[in-house]
Amino acid sequence: MKIENTKAQMRKGVLEYCILSILQNGDAYTSEILSTLKSAEMIVVEGTIYPLLTRLKNAGLLSYRWEESTSGPPRKYYVLTENGVLFLKELDTTWSNLINAVNLITSQKN
Amino acid sequence: MNKTININLGGFFFHIDESAYQILKRYLEAISNSLSDDPQGKDEILADIEARISELLSEKIQDKRQVVNEQDIQSIIKIMGEPEDYADTEDAYTEHNSSYRTKGNPVKKLFRDGEDKFLGGVASGIAHYFNTDPIWIRIALILLLAAGGFGVYTYIILWILLPEAKTTAEKLQMQGEHVNINNIEKKIRTEFENVSNKIKNTDYSGAKIGFQAFLDNVGIILIRLFKICTKIIGVFLIIISSILMVSLVLSAFSFSSLEMLGINHDLRESLPFLYQSSIPSWLLSIAMLISFVIPCLLLFFLGINIVSSKTKPLNKIAFTSLFILWICAILSLVFSGLENYSLNAVEGSKVKTDTIEMLPSDTLYVKTMNNDNFIFKSQLMRNSNQEIISDNNVQKIYSSNIYINIKKSESDEPYLKIRKKSEGNSLTSALENAEKISYGYQFTDNQVMFDSYFLSPMDSKFKDEMVSVDLYLPEGMTLVLNESSKNFIHNYKTTKRLKFWQLINHHFTMTQKGLNCTDCELDQHENI
Repeated sequence: MKIENTKAQMRKGVLEYCILSILQNGDAYTSEILSTLKSAEMIVVEGTIYPLLTRLKNAGLLSYRWEESTSGPPRKYYVLTENGVLFLKELDTTWSNLINAVNLITSQKN
Repeated sequence: MNKTININLGGFFFHIDESAYQILKRYLEAISNSLSDDPQGKDEILADIEARISELLSEKIQDKRQVVNEQDIQSIIKIMGEPEDYADTEDAYTEHNSSYRTKGNPVKKLFRDGEDKFLGGVASGIAHYFNTDPIWIRIALILLLAAGGFGVYTYIILWILLPEAKTTAEKLQMQGEHVNINNIEKKIRTEFENVSNKIKNTDYSGAKIGFQAFLDNVGIILIRLFKICTKIIGVFLIIISSILMVSLVLSAFSFSSLEMLGINHDLRESLPFLYQSSIPSWLLSIAMLISFVIPCLLLFFLGINIVSSKTKPLNKIAFTSLFILWICAILSLVFSGLENYSLNAVEGSKVKTDTIEMLPSDTLYVKTMNNDNFIFKSQLMRNSNQEIISDNNVQKIYSSNIYINIKKSESDEPYLKIRKKSEGNSLTSALENAEKISYGYQFTDNQVMFDSYFLSPMDSKFKDEMVSVDLYLPEGMTLVLNESSKNFIHNYKTTKRLKFWQLINHHFTMTQKGLNCTDCELDQHENI
């Protein structure tokens, strides 16, 4: 078992939650989402994000609109749908529970 | 110096190095392959990725005339991640939790390839299935075409049966899912590196490239020639099939007008089943027209499709209904043919015996005679040809298929047997038809005069009718055959070998061993 794989798996598990959280603060286009994730070192390469965005969109959690850009191709602006908001709320609670649980376990160990 | 290629990436225009282009293309293909688990969103994901690459590239390329090179692409791949990264994301969200999923053997399905087609994409579909270049399949099809048109039928049938690969999933199924994307990707990469290293390490690379360019050109020329040839074939198909169709329709019109005018003797003779069938003859002639016109029509459409690949192939419903119509037409023709055949299936003969009022010591003279009212014949001959004559304004068949046989009578009385032979669908009808044959002969003194012909009704045209006359003579009776009967004498037995012409106008006496010539020159029969 490689450490890299485990790390990647851990990150990927919460990637959805992170994307939805970014969009909670306002609509964003792909590059913005990417730069946020990258600066937080949630992702290393961009490629991982595209299938995920499409999957979230297909699940009805996200929708998007096209906006013209002055510097390049038209941009896809992602928006949280109502379902997405509810989904995110549930993830919020799950996440805080998880943190507590993990903290509890790891602190016991020490 | 490098060749550049113009590409449209996510709606933007780029000049790109050929080598950079190859890398980018393989990269996108590898991503596409690694996304194969989710065909629905795949196109969209790819479009997003292309848009992002385009965005990243346009950040790098400020001047529109600047060319995208290998380093640019490599740096973008570094940002975007290796194809495996895309696949891993998917794995995390699919039902299979193990990251090393075992994939079964790739299941290939036969489709038509709408993206690489000449006519309907059948050949390229088959080529995908067998993992070869479509050109070989096309050549095979053309060879089959030469071998009796088998290729055309195969192609048309496959065209109908095979669905076109339209969705991404179908296209993947057509090409066969790759067993292991990463392996293949690596293999392609190493192969490419090998090739590019070789080219880089040789000084005569220019020559090699020149030679390759030459080969490429030859290939392009061959493909062009091939295309031109098929177009010519297409044009020929259109011309020939349209000429055929026009002439068929015209002939159908002229046929029906002949029918209306009642001058259709020849047709009656050459196409008997049109007239003796329980299906009306007009319907049969339409069936005949259809059975010829529909294949012409298909050839016509085939030609059009070859000449212009943009026209849509004949839609399925139209094709099926044409096919059904054609089958119906063929079936009705077959039916009437079989019916006609069955009309003549059984052979039957009607035999009539008649005594000859003569003493065994008398001499019998045999003559045959024609009736000049029907047909004038200078020479009396047996002939299997039939003529149509009018007997009291009734059309009848005149036939001279008459056989005269001379046999020995077992009694003391001379007599003759007239056997009329005809055909029908049963013995009764065959006998009825035989009865309808009218044949006559006359006795006058010591002379018998046979008709050189018989008459039968028009329907009996194909009943292979004949009349045989058996003349039974008792021992000791003398026979003289007249010149006129010469060509009708069929079976006889003489005591000595004679030349055929010696039969005529000589006296023969019936003996135990057959006819004995009493006045033939002796030296003549010995000289034979």
